Amino acid sequence: MADTLTDKTSARPWRAPRLSLRRREAIEAWLFVSPTVAGFLVFFLGPLLAVMYFSLTEWNLLTQEATFVGVKNYVDALSVNPDFWHVLRNSFVFAIGLVPLNMTLALTLALALSRPFRGVVFFRTVFFAPVVTSAVAWAIVWRFLLQGEAGAVNQLLASVGIDGPNWLREPDWAMVAVIVTRVIKMVGLNMILYIAALQAIPRDYEAAARLEGASNWQIFRMVIWPLLAPTTLVIFVITMIGSFKVFDHIYLMTGGGPENGTLVLAFYIYEQGFKFFNVGYASALAMIMFVIVLVLTVIQMTLRRKDMR
Amino acid sequence: MTSLTLRNLKKSFGSTEVIKGVDLQVHDGEFVVFVGPSGCGKSTLLRMIAGLEDITAGELYIGDRLVNEVQAAQRGVAMVFQSYALYPHLAVKDNMAFGLKVRKVPAEERERRVQDAAASLKLEALLGRYPRELSGGQRQRVAIGRAIVGNPQVFLFDEPLSNLDAELRVHMRSEIAALHKRLGNTMIYVTHDQIEAMTLADRIVVLREGRIEQVGSPRELYERPANLFVAQFIGSPRMNVLPAASVEKSLSARGLDIGSAEGVGMRPEHISVVEAGSGLLRGAVTLREYTGATTLLHVALEGGETALVVHNGQNMPEAGEDVGLEIAREHMHLFDSQGQAIRPLARAG
Ligand SMILES: Nc1ncnc2c1ncn2[C@@H]1O[C@H](COP(=O)(O)OP(=O)(O)OP(=O)(O)O)[C@@H](O)[C@H]1O
Ligand SMILES: [Mg+2]
Repeated sequence: MADTLTDKTSARPWRAPRLSLRRREAIEAWLFVSPTVAGFLVFFLGPLLAVMYFSLTEWNLLTQEATFVGVKNYVDALSVNPDFWHVLRNSFVFAIGLVPLNMTLALTLALALSRPFRGVVFFRTVFFAPVVTSAVAWAIVWRFLLQGEAGAVNQLLASVGIDGPNWLREPDWAMVAVIVTRVIKMVGLNMILYIAALQAIPRDYEAAARLEGASNWQIFRMVIWPLLAPTTLVIFVITMIGSFKVFDHIYLMTGGGPENGTLVLAFYIYEQGFKFFNVGYASALAMIMFVIVLVLTVIQMTLRRKDMR
Repeated sequence: MTSLTLRNLKKSFGSTEVIKGVDLQVHDGEFVVFVGPSGCGKSTLLRMIAGLEDITAGELYIGDRLVNEVQAAQRGVAMVFQSYALYPHLAVKDNMAFGLKVRKVPAEERERRVQDAAASLKLEALLGRYPRELSGGQRQRVAIGRAIVGNPQVFLFDEPLSNLDAELRVHMRSEIAALHKRLGNTMIYVTHDQIEAMTLADRIVVLREGRIEQVGSPRELYERPANLFVAQFIGSPRMNVLPAASVEKSLSARGLDIGSAEGVGMRPEHISVVEAGSGLLRGAVTLREYTGATTLLHVALEGGETALVVHNGQNMPEAGEDVGLEIAREHMHLFDSQGQAIRPLARAG
């Protein structure tokens, strides 16, 4: 076989380089993936290395002067600057509040909307629409709805006898408000992922379980939920990462306030880098955030792999 | 006592009626097979019996109990699915124990019953494996094992062998037959493989478009099909059906009266080749298909029709050769203009 191939090529007037099929395939493969690889290098690996370098310098954007300072920025963040731990705590509160709420709601909606019934498309659209709505419009509307006395939310609460707080003016309530409004905006995305996963589960599993006497809850607990595990993991990781990176929502809803009550890591990085021009310090913070997200992801993946055994 | 009684059962999905009134009595311990073309409602009927589809109209009794409104799990039936429906995240053992677990059977009893079922199906070595680690035949056996563990009164099978290769299918077929003999339960089995139907069934139910065409033993269906549809559905290769006119003359020459029949059916395996010019029919061989034990001859008849003949003797005619075809009187099936069988072929008065 190989002989006939080479004979053919050498018979041509132009002599093709004598590459084995494997080599040729490898070269073609690299050519095909090269745009992606180039993009990865230019837009991901490059900036990452740059940030890594910046984080070791004191660099003022205005004077364009960079001085190498070693790990000073990291030391500042972790032990000198009192803001950092407060900000980190806020980020965790945001994530720990948002992720379970988002995922529970997404799964509940998906379970309700994964089977066809009259109007199902309408409901899916309703819950997905906020995902594609502009963050600005979303924030404006919610700031309006969440106003103190006059806001629609508080008026609604008042009608059932609850005296609502001034949502965006009190630090703790502001955190609750940004979490809930963020969940409502983004839950549709996870809902769609769960719907897709549910629809991929063969109906016979449910039929078999029902025939064997399983209740709806048992079917969910013993069949559906375990089969959703890979999807749940993916959703968990992307939602977790997304909640650590939340920026626009905070910027538009509270600007990190009141009393830094909603000042989360990504927003803090933005403030340090682009408001106070502490690029070195901001880069160090960004590296810390990168490591946190990386660690969380790795832990999840490891747990999952153990679970599969 | 686990007979089943279906009384005028109907099922509609929205406005389309899929099961259009089925009456059937299944006796205790009987092996009944549903056959019919794809989409005729076999699975739907089976799922209605299982309780997985609700019944639009009619009555379903299991034993003496009206079960229309009884939940699937309370009907005492177990089902083996075409897809096997083994839970991929559970080991074989846990798959088999699933029903016992949800019914809160104590762990030791669960263990014992799974072991018993596994032993009877030679599954002991596989108990720790996951479904993805099993071959098709092993999965099939586990699915059957899971059904047995629950001690059902009635077993339902929906095309359980259709995902297996031909050889394994023959083997599993005999295992299912042996299982029925051993357990003695009532079993209802859906297939569209008629060899499976013929070999397994005590009685076969032929369905078409949501209605029963005929119910009978395999022999009855083969020898005395009630109508053209059953005649052509049962038996392979399918029965030749010729217009009555093409044989009327030769028959009356022998003193046989075809009466009001419009069509005459002859199974390919009942036709024999005789010398050209003699026999009931004349024609020329257009194609020979050698299949090993037999050869399938395509014969173009004088009247323009084509007849299939299973030839397994000596004197193989060549392609293009003129031949005569002969068939015994008792092997001729007569059908009226509605396609209903008329019998028997009478001596002219
Ligand atoms: N859930 C459903 N909704 C609407 N129509 C259905 C549904 N289930 C089945 N049908 C229709 O009912 C008819 C009978 O389907 P069924 O699955 O019972 O056929 P079958 O005889 O088992 O066919 P096959 O041999 O292909 O398995 C088909 O026309 C099918 O399209
Ligand atoms: Mg079917």
